[in-house]
Amino acid sequence: MSNIDLLGRRKFIAGLGIAAGAAMVAPAMAVSEKADGVKWDKEVEIVIIGSGFAGLAAAIEATKHGAKDVHIFEKMSYFGGNSAINGGLFAAPGTPMQKKEGVEDSVDRMVNDQLLSGRGIADEGLLRHVASHAVEALQMTLDAGSEYHPYLQQLGGHSVARTYQTSVSCGAGITQPLYKECKRIGVNTHNRSKFEGFLVGNKGEVVGVKMRQNYHFGEDQPGKVLNIRAKRGVIMATGGFAQNVDLRMAQDPTLTADVGCTNAPGATGEGMFEMFRLGAIPVHLAHIQSGPWASPDEGGFGYVSNYSIFNLPHSIAVSRTTGKRFMNEIADRKTRADAELSNRDEKGNPVPPLLISSFKDSKAHPNTEKVIKYNVGWKFESLEELATHFGVPLAGLKAQIAEYNGYVKTGEDKQFGKDMTLAKNKMIEAPFTVVRLWPKVHYCQGGVKVNTKAEVTDSFTGKSITGLYAAGEVCGGIHGVSRLGSCSIPECMVMGMTAARSLMNV
Amino acid sequence: MKNFNIILGLVLLGLTSLSVQSAEIRDYHKDVIGKDCKTCHDNGIKQFPSDQSCLQCHDVDDLAKKTARSEEDKWQNPHNNLHYGKDVPCQECHSEHKTKQPLCSNCHTFKFDKHKG
Repeated sequence: MSNIDLLGRRKFIAGLGIAAGAAMVAPAMAVSEKADGVKWDKEVEIVIIGSGFAGLAAAIEATKHGAKDVHIFEKMSYFGGNSAINGGLFAAPGTPMQKKEGVEDSVDRMVNDQLLSGRGIADEGLLRHVASHAVEALQMTLDAGSEYHPYLQQLGGHSVARTYQTSVSCGAGITQPLYKECKRIGVNTHNRSKFEGFLVGNKGEVVGVKMRQNYHFGEDQPGKVLNIRAKRGVIMATGGFAQNVDLRMAQDPTLTADVGCTNAPGATGEGMFEMFRLGAIPVHLAHIQSGPWASPDEGGFGYVSNYSIFNLPHSIAVSRTTGKRFMNEIADRKTRADAELSNRDEKGNPVPPLLISSFKDSKAHPNTEKVIKYNVGWKFESLEELATHFGVPLAGLKAQIAEYNGYVKTGEDKQFGKDMTLAKNKMIEAPFTVVRLWPKVHYCQGGVKVNTKAEVTDSFTGKSITGLYAAGEVCGGIHGVSRLGSCSIPECMVMGMTAARSLMNV
Repeated sequence: MKNFNIILGLVLLGLTSLSVQSAEIRDYHKDVIGKDCKTCHDNGIKQFPSDQSCLQCHDVDDLAKKTARSEEDKWQNPHNNLHYGKDVPCQECHSEHKTKQPLCSNCHTFKFDKHKG
């Protein structure tokens, strides 16, 4: 598919298949148990499982409200989870930058955009709760030292520009400051610590967890299992299961190991499953989202994803076989991923479409140089050169660009109804930058059901499971069919903060 | 007992060949490690060494200096990178007994010419 070496990546994915299989075996052997008669190895105030946005925000918020002995446990050897490698895009309504740029926005407007994308099954109460507290969460990142690009972006499915992005264009621009803040305020952090099950009291309440120490991901290296009592409760912030190929294929058979994935290797879902075993309600597990801005020329999220997200509003995506557009470049993620996947040859093999931008406009994003330098994108001086390189019919492509440039002038896209606000005055003209697009499994909308206090709901009683809280991607049902870009970070952080407030009774 | 001796012999042979193999990957470790597996295996021979084990001899700041890149690529320094700072344990990218890909190659096409597994 590509002229660069993808073999390493393929081997990595194949290896993950095995690792995921092994990960599924482990929890079957070690499940939740009655805490009666258990010998406690350790007693702490708050247990947080997972060190991404949700876990870190929960730890900081709990400490702010007086918690003295907060412990974050992380399965991998490094901290930050999937949050450390995503795009660092943060949507919030009514922010200082929106006021500066004169953007009219509100909680209602953001929630409405999300409900549309959710196609009728999103959880309005949770969306409203997150949107109402998103600015507070943004402030927590600023207080910890996060820095953002000095402009707002309008992502697919959003009716206005409301998205901040860290100046390093990555979630690490948030996880690193939050992690350092955790260290500064005395939060205890434990890496290579794998969650092995809950310890449950006589009334079904969660009183502690079993944690395997000295755990080496993907290796057969059993460390010792400790019984840890959590005096105030347990916050599950374990993320999604996009890297668990068996589990995602059980929900959607098209998501085989051949479909790339943007997630960190640890996103395998054991924490979520253990909550189901305990009685949590599974919601929307089959709604698994692919990122329509990813590239088949690099692994994971890579450099192209952010490049594309920035450029899609003022670029055209064209089919390689016709040179014609085939989608609204800023429709919501599901609409675009489905449209991209239809780009195939007569045998059904993928023919990844091209995203064509004017270099003058693309270069405003810091990744543009890197995309070209690391051979995952290309720069062309003329349309002829571009067409020859990819074997695109030149006449068709020329006609398409002329037609689209007309829409740039009039501000109305008659082909796909794209919102042309950010395309204003940005004609598609030489020199060009080009990347190839192909969706990658990116986000699991499904997970456990929680309420607006981040309490986990029990399947049979409909009540909250005492002592158990969940936040972030491990929770399900909030976004419905399709999550809008940049709406996960506010969700993770707000729900992490919410879980902490619930635990501290504030 | 005889069987036990044979098994013990095989195990010892295995350990010796492992240590030879490790010295082949990094010949500069030969003098330090010799045949004493415990130099690194502080958690016991059958366990992975602790994440601190390599730091008995190596200093993270020195390593970060050695692998520093130009200002525009400064965050691609494996020993002080964008995603995890200086906190990635050595064993994520390095192994004495086999070769490994750098962690970055999960998502990026960077070249690390001096990387020896």
